[in-house]
Formats: sequence, C-alpha cells, structure tokens
Amino acid sequence: MRARVFVTLKPSVFDPQGTTVAEALHSLGYSAVRDVRQGKYFELEIDAPTADEARRVAAEAADKLLANPVIESYRIEIETKTTEALSR
Amino acid sequence: MKFAVVVFPGSNCDHDAYHAVKHVLGQDAAFVWHKETRLAGADVVILPGGFAHGDYLRTGAIARFSPIMQEVRRFAEAGGPVLGICNGFQVLLEAGLLPGAMLRNRGVKFQCEHVWVKVEQTDTPFTAACRQGQVLQIPIAHGEGNYYAEPDVVEGLEKNRQVVFRYTTAAGEITADANPNGSVNNIAGLCNEARNVVGLMPHPERACELAIGSADGLAVFESAVKSVSQGAFAAAR
Repeated sequence: MRARVFVTLKPSVFDPQGTTVAEALHSLGYSAVRDVRQGKYFELEIDAPTADEARRVAAEAADKLLANPVIESYRIEIETKTTEALSR
Repeated sequence: MKFAVVVFPGSNCDHDAYHAVKHVLGQDAAFVWHKETRLAGADVVILPGGFAHGDYLRTGAIARFSPIMQEVRRFAEAGGPVLGICNGFQVLLEAGLLPGAMLRNRGVKFQCEHVWVKVEQTDTPFTAACRQGQVLQIPIAHGEGNYYAEPDVVEGLEKNRQVVFRYTTAAGEITADANPNGSVNNIAGLCNEARNVVGLMPHPERACELAIGSADGLAVFESAVKSVSQGAFAAAR
C-alpha cells in the first residue's frame, strides 16, 4: 500500500524558502500568486493488511522522523491500489 | 580531564574541537564514533559542527538516532556537561535535549562570517570562565540557524535565564542588524533547565588562536575545564 505524507511548516512559522519562491514568481509576472509555502512530500510503500494499519505506520513514521512537531505538521493520504496498478 | 568529541558521518568540525581542547588547552580528548555506545569515560561531551548524515530530511534529524545518542542522553540526564556546536546544537534540538527548532536563515543564504556574541549567563559549564555581558568575536557558518520556538517556550527560556548567548553589536547591543539569521530574540545559544546542556550556532572552536583571527572562543572550553576541575558535574561519568 502507498502512503503519501505531506509535511508543511505550521502556519505560525515563517517560511524563508517559500517567501523567496513567491518573490521569484512575482518577478516572473505571476502577480496573482499571493503566497507560497514550501514543504516536503514522501511516498511510503508499506506492507500492511488494511488502509488503517498503513495509516498507523505512516503516522508513527511521521511523528518519529519525517516531521518535526515543533515547526511542522503533516497530512497523510493512503492509496489502496496496488503499486503495480499505480505505476501503469 | 577528558573531552569526548562525537563523530557522526558528515561531522567536519570534529578535528577543530579536538585541536582546541587537546592542543590549545592541553586537555585529554578522544574521538567517539557515532556507532559507539560508551563515552570513553569523558568528563565533557562535545557534539561538533558539520552535516551529520548529510543533514538529509532536516538538520540533525537522523543523527539523533545514532547509537551514541542514547549514551549522550544518559550522560546529560545525569548532569554531565554537553556542548552542541552548530550542527551539534541542531542534533540536541532534534533529540529534544534542548527546546525549539532551526529554520532556514531569514535571508535564505548560508552565512559564513565573524559575528559578535554576548554571554548572557555565566552559570553554565561552558560560560563559567566568562564575564557576564562579555562580547565574544566568533565565526558562524550555517544555512539553518534561524532559531524558532513557540512564543510561550521563548518566554520560558527568558524567564529561566536559559538564553546563554545572543547576537549583538561589538558593543553588546541587541539589534536587528546584529542578527545574522533571524533567530527569535537574537538567540545564538541556550541551555536546558538543568543548565548542563548548552547549544550554540557560532563556532568557538574556530576562534581559539589569535593566528586565525580570534581567540575569544577559548573561554567556552576554559569554562568547561574550570567547571569540571571545581568538582561540578562529576556524577555523570
């Protein structure tokens, strides 16, 4: 099963990289882009019998390693199709 | 007395720290590989600067799981003096031995320059030989030194006098211009509540001899020698 983990800085935390990217977009003429927040994206291939179990493993991995709870939060999506089906 | 310098894959200031305590101060020192589980009977532990485990994911995020960190934690919890320099500071934050986290520098650039750092507290094992308010000229070299913690955590740090070093002007004034990376309250270094664990972004080990521009950093290591020789922190071994 595949878990997608999106790690982003908490809203209260200043994001210097996102700000720089937003400034670059503005200089390219994308004035409609109001703000950019940069984060991290992980794909975890997990051997688990159920989506709930896969989610539990992904959440534990995120709590322990993938995200730093002081500055970041995360969101998990579970893709229940097989890896083979996904790669086609 | 003996210093242990922990070596992670990617540490690159380990030899500078070793040189400062061994050759400049004439103390016993040993490198301790991150896969070790003992600290070689050291009185003081240094987590040096560098890019432990490539700093992949986040600075210090993977290093905190190195086998030696369990022993560093035990040593710290027993009251032993632990100094985290730059990447070592980041490892201490990720390990939860110090509060808060590091963000990318406010200006996004890797900052490599001499800065002025004021000693705010002298009752730690790494500032005991300093004067209160002493301003040290020490280099920084980091991309992620923008110290952040929730406002209530920062308030607690200030109230408990846990801010040990602050970026200032040469005259010791706390100004926005003197802050190289955007750290909240110009924080350059802090200690835990028990005051035996200290982390700082500037590199005192790179400022221990006048021949390389400044010897102000030596006070940090002399403080450790003074503290340990006075019998403080003996229980941790």
